[in-house]
Amino acid sequence: MSEEKKVMLRISDVSMRFRKEEDHAGSLKETVINMFAGRLKFTEFYALQHVSFDVYKGDVLGIIGRNGAGKSTILKIISGIMKPTAGNVERYGNIVPMLELGSGFDMDLSGRENVFLNGAILGYEKEFLHSKYDEILAFSELQDFINMPLRNYSSGMIMRLAFSIATVVEPEILIVDEILAVGDENFQRKSRARMMELMSGGTTVLFVSHDLNQIREMCNRVVWLDGGTVRLQGECQEVCDQYRL
Amino acid sequence: MTKIDLKRTEKYAFLIFLAAVVLFTVGAWDRIFAASVFGLRFLWIYPVLVVLLALILFLYIGRMKRAQVSGKKCAGLFFLQTMHKYRFLIEQLVQRDFKIKYKRSVLGAFWSFLNPLLMMTVQYVVFSHLLNIRGNTEHYAIYLLCGIVMWNGFNDCSTQSMRSITSNAALITKVYVPKYIYPVTRVLSASINIVLSMIPLLLVTTVYGLFSTPHLYLSKAVLLLPFGLLLMLIFCVGMGFFLSSLMVFFHDIEFLWGFVSTLWMYATPIIYSLSMFEEKGVMWFVKLEQFNPLYHYIQFIRTIVLERQSPAFSEYGICLAFSVGLFLLGFFMFRKVQDRFILYL
Repeated sequence: MSEEKKVMLRISDVSMRFRKEEDHAGSLKETVINMFAGRLKFTEFYALQHVSFDVYKGDVLGIIGRNGAGKSTILKIISGIMKPTAGNVERYGNIVPMLELGSGFDMDLSGRENVFLNGAILGYEKEFLHSKYDEILAFSELQDFINMPLRNYSSGMIMRLAFSIATVVEPEILIVDEILAVGDENFQRKSRARMMELMSGGTTVLFVSHDLNQIREMCNRVVWLDGGTVRLQGECQEVCDQYRL
Repeated sequence: MTKIDLKRTEKYAFLIFLAAVVLFTVGAWDRIFAASVFGLRFLWIYPVLVVLLALILFLYIGRMKRAQVSGKKCAGLFFLQTMHKYRFLIEQLVQRDFKIKYKRSVLGAFWSFLNPLLMMTVQYVVFSHLLNIRGNTEHYAIYLLCGIVMWNGFNDCSTQSMRSITSNAALITKVYVPKYIYPVTRVLSASINIVLSMIPLLLVTTVYGLFSTPHLYLSKAVLLLPFGLLLMLIFCVGMGFFLSSLMVFFHDIEFLWGFVSTLWMYATPIIYSLSMFEEKGVMWFVKLEQFNPLYHYIQFIRTIVLERQSPAFSEYGICLAFSVGLFLLGFFMFRKVQDRFILYL
């Protein structure tokens, strides 16, 4: 088997069922009565049904589909946050999910402390973070502010720091929910360039976007999800041409 | 799975074992010397027991080594590998929780010392002089302080770890981390406070002991304090597993726990002593207390500080049973429901 064809992720027959309880479930009494009468109903719906695809080493796989097609759910299942109702995911490499930037930040800690906290959450090694600390600091352009508590940062500063921490690694599998372009124009250009660099650097990338142009530009393979099932998968050009909302 | 250096683990395990044996032998020497089991002097069995435990430890590490090579399943090895993989995260989370607690206060961690002292002073004045609940308890101030320190520790741990899953929801829904880590790190960070609050306890006991009649002084039994704290912390972790997983499904637990813990506090002999009930002949209450884990943990510390000797061996057994029992109960419950957390957060 050639290096090109090494499987990094194998998603086989994954289904995800959610129980939608009505929010206004009524009183406790009602619930209990219904439960005994066997009338406690959940509206069940499948966010994903029998989804299967493989991701090979070096692939940049785009996932497209309408809102609610199950794109975010499949990303969460792949990164291990959710357990699928049926089917399974085999992972052959370390995954860095970039689902939402800075979700582990603590507003009372300083920027420096947050670098280490957030890095630990993303699964980086201690030695690695110490050696890359200066790089993170330089990229975020926060030199004078790094020892201030985060609550005094502007939202742009927080996003810059989060982006710098998240992209300092070279993971084997990178999961990206929408291309991340944050901060002012200058930083946006820089962050976009960094993303491109990461994605073209031989890492395997899973990439969700609504921007078809971006997908065409970046990906070599595309999976089109529709209503929780795979509508079509294959070469980028082919799928994108057929893709209609 | 990452390979871990079991040689080093082995070294540390034996060092910790040795330290524990030394602490226990010195601290509980009087008990070991005096006790007898089935007509045999315990002193003769004790070395055999120590060697036996060391042997079990040695054999188990050997098993883990073989499992690492052959790739066979082994619960202990799996635990160590997970700990190794996430040790940096655990360290960071503990640091965060501890730092956050006093971050915006002027006195900072000094509150860990100050708080029990202030509490003790207030309660001492109220219960000793105004209400006269002390009865004929000797060294009532220290009796009270032991209870307060241990209770506060337990209360802090359980309340903090109860919220550990819900307050880390932002992380749990975004990044995969074994969820056990959250309650455990909360208990660990709260336990720093418990350890710190031992300092005022010992300090006050020393100073108070000089001026009281009869004199109260610290003895080598103090070396046994870590055992009491450890047992209570295991209990707290179990409580944390239990409460935090309940909290995800029923947010009412937060308010209910406030009530239950207050009730529990008054049901535990912290400000009063059981001898008062014995004198009055209310024996059912005294018997009931035998089922209160907190009573045993607090009494463990009081025996060490006030009676200046090791608790009876049966007390170790009872405390251990409560700790391990609740830990396992909490652990299995947590494991059963943890996959559903994400759907409710």
